[in-house]
Amino acid sequence: MAINVKTFKEGFLRSLPLLLLIYICISEFHTQFYYWNIFSFNLQFIIIYYWILRDPSILGYGFIFLCGLINDVILSFPLGTSALSFLFVSLVAAYVRNATVRSTLFTDWFTFIFGVLIGNFITYFLIKNFSEMKIEYQSMLFNSLFTFILYPAFWGIFELYKKLINLKTYD
Amino acid sequence: MSTSRDDFGIAIRSALLQRGAKQKFSLFVLILVSIAVFSLDTLNLKPIKVLRSFINDGVYRISAISSSPIKFTSATKSFLTDHIFLYKENEKLKIELEELKKQKLKTSFLETENRKLQEVVQLDKKSVFITLGAKVMMDKNSPYLNSAIINKGSNSKIKLGMAVLSKGHLVGRIVEVNYISSRILFLNDLNSRIPVVISPDGDQAILSGSGREKPILEYLPENFTVEDNQMVYTSGKDGVLISGISIGEVNEDLEEKRIEVKLFSDPNQIFFVNVVLGQSTDVEEM
Repeated sequence: MAINVKTFKEGFLRSLPLLLLIYICISEFHTQFYYWNIFSFNLQFIIIYYWILRDPSILGYGFIFLCGLINDVILSFPLGTSALSFLFVSLVAAYVRNATVRSTLFTDWFTFIFGVLIGNFITYFLIKNFSEMKIEYQSMLFNSLFTFILYPAFWGIFELYKKLINLKTYD
Repeated sequence: MSTSRDDFGIAIRSALLQRGAKQKFSLFVLILVSIAVFSLDTLNLKPIKVLRSFINDGVYRISAISSSPIKFTSATKSFLTDHIFLYKENEKLKIELEELKKQKLKTSFLETENRKLQEVVQLDKKSVFITLGAKVMMDKNSPYLNSAIINKGSNSKIKLGMAVLSKGHLVGRIVEVNYISSRILFLNDLNSRIPVVISPDGDQAILSGSGREKPILEYLPENFTVEDNQMVYTSGKDGVLISGISIGEVNEDLEEKRIEVKLFSDPNQIFFVNVVLGQSTDVEEM
């Protein structure tokens, strides 16, 4: 029984970043932080990038794809737009993970620029060319900028979380 | 040089094809699936549309439930803010009430005059909108979208393009219809464009969403000047929206040198809306 409780607790704690990602995609959470017509950030990118870089088994590419589809439904984008952008952010993170031996906040933060720019570019390109929706590139640029600026703050939170629960890496 | 290119190729290939201990799909497979889903969705095939409609309905319901704690927090915040500014608002309302009393006398005179004129032309046309009440399940205010999801869909005879009112004023139109839910695109959304008429001169213009609080007026006549009490109504020129629905008041933004419309109904404060299903015209015999 004690083992079961421990296994459940560990499983739950490992699933928490994924649950957070699903909740952010399905709820109105991320749209609550839109101020002064310029401030917005993409928390999904931060979560995906950080956890793919640290431990891909926490999120899983299948769930990232699913979260992308949910996000598309909620934001009324053509299905697959966010899924593609999330997967490309994951690709950048997976590449950095394979290419680097020892990662620090600064290496993560620097390479995150490519992740966030590629992710937002894919969204912008697909919407601009394949849908009737209008989207301002300035908004995307500000979104990329604030997502990049806020990365270290969330990096700190996630590092702390990892240390607190003492996560083991499976991959 | 070639070694570093090889390293890049190996790392990318590994990132695309590698599957972890608990991963069922590789990134490469999922990217291909995403492209396939995207292509099918943009092709606008009828079966895909129906499928998407059901997915939308399901996701919207779950989303409405999961976002209720956030909604509750927002509602509490706005409730507290309202209470803080209660005294100030009371003072403002007193002044407005005095103004309205004066206007009531004026209106009463105009009503009498109008009735007499109608008697002269023997025409008493009474037009009302046939509306359907709906509850806002969730609203989105983001850099990409200013829209809301309502709990009525094609099962309640809602169709694309229908006007949506809040407190009798236009707030947006229907842009997506599912079986039990629909999406309203607010007037201030970047994608919103509707033909309008400005009273009292009857100037025609296009009301365009700017992604900000107030939509702007475009394609105005060259000699257009902003004056007091200029109201904006739907012109119905697009053949979709019914004409004569009130929208807001004309304002000039001197800083940005553009003409805006202050909406009568704030899209961010909407909980219930009325979807205009049609217009009933009764001609009373005199």
